[in-house]
Amino acid sequence: QHGRVKIKSTAQQEEEKRKEREKKLKVYVAARDACFSKRKEGIMDDEALQLTQQLLSSNPDFATLWNYRREILMHMETVKDEDQVQKIYETELSFLESCLKVNPKSYGSWHQRGWVSARLPRPDWARELSLCDRCLSLDDRNFHCWDYRRMVVKMSGVPVDQELGFTDRLIGSNFSNYSSWHYRSTLLPLLHPESPEPPSPSREPPRSSPPPSPPTQSHRVCEEQLLKEYELVQNAFFTDPNDQSAWFYYRWLLGRAEREEMISCVYVSREVERVAVACSRPVNAQSVGLLLVLDGQPQRVEWRSVHPQLKHSPVWICDLPPGTISDVVNEHNLTVHWTEKHTHRDCALYTGRSESWCRDSATDQELFRSELSVEKTSVLQSELQSCNQLQELEPLNKWCLLTIILLMRALDPLGYEKETLAHFRTLKEVDSMRSAYYSDLCSRFMIENTILKMEYAEVRVFSISDKNLTTLCHLDQLLLVTHINVSCNQLQQLPPHFAMLQCLEVLEADNNSIEDLEGLHHLPKLEEVLLKNNKISTLADLQPLASCPKLKRLDLRGNPVAGTANLEVELAQLLPSVMHLLL
Amino acid sequence: QGTQVKDVIIKPEAPSTLLLDRHADYIAAYGSKKDDYEYTLSEYLRMSGIYWGLTVMDLMGQLPRMNRQEIIDFIKACQHECGGISASIGHDPHLLYTLSAVQILCLYDSLDAIDVDKVVEYIKGLQQEDGSFAGDKWGEIDTRFSFCAVATLALLGKMDKINVDKSVEFVLSCMNFDGGFGCRPGSESLHVVIIYCCTGFLSLTSQLHQVNADLLGWWLCERQLPSGGLNGRPEKLPDVCYSWWVLASLKIIGKIHWIDKAKLRAFILACQDEETGGFADRPGDMVDPFHTLFGVAGLSLLGEEQIKPVNPVLCMPEDVLESIDLKPELLS
Ligand SMILES: [Zn+2]
Repeated sequence: QHGRVKIKSTAQQEEEKRKEREKKLKVYVAARDACFSKRKEGIMDDEALQLTQQLLSSNPDFATLWNYRREILMHMETVKDEDQVQKIYETELSFLESCLKVNPKSYGSWHQRGWVSARLPRPDWARELSLCDRCLSLDDRNFHCWDYRRMVVKMSGVPVDQELGFTDRLIGSNFSNYSSWHYRSTLLPLLHPESPEPPSPSREPPRSSPPPSPPTQSHRVCEEQLLKEYELVQNAFFTDPNDQSAWFYYRWLLGRAEREEMISCVYVSREVERVAVACSRPVNAQSVGLLLVLDGQPQRVEWRSVHPQLKHSPVWICDLPPGTISDVVNEHNLTVHWTEKHTHRDCALYTGRSESWCRDSATDQELFRSELSVEKTSVLQSELQSCNQLQELEPLNKWCLLTIILLMRALDPLGYEKETLAHFRTLKEVDSMRSAYYSDLCSRFMIENTILKMEYAEVRVFSISDKNLTTLCHLDQLLLVTHINVSCNQLQQLPPHFAMLQCLEVLEADNNSIEDLEGLHHLPKLEEVLLKNNKISTLADLQPLASCPKLKRLDLRGNPVAGTANLEVELAQLLPSVMHLLL
Repeated sequence: QGTQVKDVIIKPEAPSTLLLDRHADYIAAYGSKKDDYEYTLSEYLRMSGIYWGLTVMDLMGQLPRMNRQEIIDFIKACQHECGGISASIGHDPHLLYTLSAVQILCLYDSLDAIDVDKVVEYIKGLQQEDGSFAGDKWGEIDTRFSFCAVATLALLGKMDKINVDKSVEFVLSCMNFDGGFGCRPGSESLHVVIIYCCTGFLSLTSQLHQVNADLLGWWLCERQLPSGGLNGRPEKLPDVCYSWWVLASLKIIGKIHWIDKAKLRAFILACQDEETGGFADRPGDMVDPFHTLFGVAGLSLLGEEQIKPVNPVLCMPEDVLESIDLKPELLS
C-alpha cells in the first residue's frame, strides 16, 4: 500500500487491466481454496508445499500459509531421516532466499527463515551471515535483516568485536548509516563496559543467556572507548555535516548522565505536621516501599503524591499523626527508607525549630552535567573546538549548533550561558519548524542554571524572570523553595508538577500566558499569588487555589476573568482566606 | 556530495481543504468491491482493514452507513477454539487481528458477541517468561505484540489477568540510545510504529515516567520534513501513516507542540484524492483505507473540528473510550 503512483489511463487500458485482474483472481482463489481444503483434511504432502509456495511467492504476508508450511515441515521431520530433513529444510531456505529477493521486507519470510535456521539439523551459520552481508549491501537500512543478523550472531556465537568490525566497515564505506551507528550503541557496552568490572569475554553468552538488564545499566561504555568513538563520529560529521545519523549518535555519546538512585531530600514541618520526600527519579511510594521511622519507631503513614494526576512522582508527602512532633521543646529524629533500593536519609528536627531538612548537596554541581570525569574535560574542550571550526564553515548547520550547546553545557553551563542563548536564537531561525522544541530545551537549561546559582547562594528563593521560559521542569529540585519568581515569561500553565513546591509561600508569575493553575494544589504554606496579566478566563480556572488554606493575597489584574460579573462576591465564597484581592 | 534530504514537493493545485464527504463515500464503497483482485489479496489482514474503515467512518460521524450485523457475524465466525481471532475465515488467529476485532466490537458496543473470557485466556497464554508476547502460537516475539496484548485487555477491562510488571520490564529492555524502542532487545528504533506501540504500551500500563520524553520527543520532531510531512525514520520519505504514528507518540509523551502543526496539516490535506476520495501515503499516490484512517485521525489530533476527537493511544474515537471508562495515561 505504499508508493503506488496514481497513473491516468484510458478506458480501454482500464478494461484490459480489469480482465487481466479477473484472470489472476480466479487462479489465486483456486489455489487458496485448494490450500485451505487440504489443510482442513490434514493433508501434509509435497503438493501442499507446492501450492503454498506458489501463493507465498507473490503474497508473502499471507501468514496462515507460512503456518501451514511449518506444520507440514514438522510433520516431515517425524517421518523422514535426518539427511532427508536437512535437504527439505535447505530447499525451504532457497525458496525463502528467492522470496526475500522479491520482497526483502516481509515479516513472514524473515520469521520463517529464523524458524527454519533454528530447526535445521546441521545449520550453516556462515552462509546465513553472508546472506545478511549481501542483503545489507543492497539496503543497509533493512531492519528485518539487521534483526535476523542479530539472531544469527547470537545463535552461532560470533564474537562481538567481529561484529563491531563489521560496523566499522559499513560506516567506513558510508557514514550515513543510522542502523550501523545503532548497532554500535548496543555492541560497545558489551565489549567495553564501564569499569570497574573487567572487560567481559568477547564471545556472546550461549543461547540460554538471561535477558539483558534494564536500560539503566546496559548503555554505559568505558571512558577510553568513548573517546575513540568521539573521534570516529567526528570524522563522520566533518565528512557530511548534514548527516543526522552521526549527530544522533554523538548526542547519545554526550548525554548519558545517570543519577545515583537515592532519596535526595527529606523535609519535615512541625507546624503542618508533614514530611515531604524527594527521590532522584519518579517512583510510586507504595510500590517501592517508602518507609518512615520517627524516633526509632516505624510509622504507619499514608504516602500521597503531591497531585492526584501524578501516579509516579519524585516527591511524596505524608501527614504525621496529630501531636507526634508538635511539642516544640522536643527534638525528633526521622529516617526515610527507600526499601527497594536499600537506601535511606536521616533528618533531625531540633528543639525550638519549626522545620528542618536534610538534602544531598554533593551532587548539586553534577546534577545536570555529563558523566565524563573532570580530567577529561580537556577532551570535551577539544571536541568543542572542532565543532566551533565546523560551525565557522557551516554557520547555519543546526546539528552543529545544537551539539555546541550540549558541549558547552557539559563543560561549564554557567560560564557559557550567554553564548548558549545566542546559539538558541540562531537555531530557532534556521530551523523554525522546531522552534517550540528549542524553546523548551532552552527553558530547561535556564532552569538548571538558576538551580545551580541558587545552590551556590544557599537561598530558598528561585528567581527566573524574563528568560523566555515556555515550560517548567526539575520542580522536584525546588522542594524547599519558599519564594519563586517566574514573571515575564511565556508560560501557559502551572502544571501538576508545580505542586512539588511544598514549602512555597510566595508565587510571582505576572506577565505570562497562564490559563491553567492545576499545579497550585494543596500547597500548605502558599500565602501570596501574583498573576497580573495572564490568561485566567473563568472562575473555574481558579478552583485549585481553594485547596491552599493560607492564601491571603491574590493579584488577578489584567486577566480575562477580571471582567466576570459579581466576581468579588464569588471569589469571597471560593477563597474565603484571601484578604487582599487585586482585580 | 552530502546527504540529500528525501522529501516530496507539494504542488500548488494539491487539495488544501478537507473533503470529508468524499472520504465517507470512498470507505462506504470500498467494502462492496469484494470480488476485486487486490481486495482478495489483502484478505490476510481483513480484520484490521475493517477496523480502519469503521474507525474512520466513526470519526467522521458516518458509522451508521456500515453494515453492523454483517460485520459482527463475521467477527464471531473468526473467533477460534483457542479464543484468538483471525483476520478472516480460514485464516489462523493472531494478536494483531484479535485487537482489531475487539476494537471494532467496542465501536459497536457489542463485546458480548464473542467469548471474552476465551480471548483473555488466549492472550494470557501468549505471554512468555521474560514478559514479552508472541504474536501467535508460532512464537514470533515483538514489542508490537506487547501493545496488542495490553490494548486488547485494556479494552476488555482485564489487564490484571497478565503479569503486567514483567511485560513492562520487557518493553523497557527494548529502549534504545535515541530514546526510542526496537521490536526486540537490541533492535534499532526502526520506525515509529514500534515507538508508537511502546509509548502506547507504557501509557496503558501507566509507566510513561520511564520514557525519556525530551530525547524521544526530539527524535520524533526531527521526523518532520520541509514539506511538513513526517517520515518513519531518518533519511526516509514522508508518509501520512507515519505522520499519524509520530504525532500520536508525541501526543502521548506531551510534546505534540514540537512539530509545526500548520505545515503537517497542509501535507496531510495534500494527500487527499479529490476524484476518488480517500488519502494516499504521499501526494499523487493511490489511496487506501489504511492511509485514509491515519490521515483523518492525524487531522483530528491536530484539532480539526469537523472530526471527532481521537484517542492517540488506541486510535479510536474518545467518546467510545469514555463509554467504557478507559483513560490511558498521557504526559502533560
Ligand atoms: Zn504509509
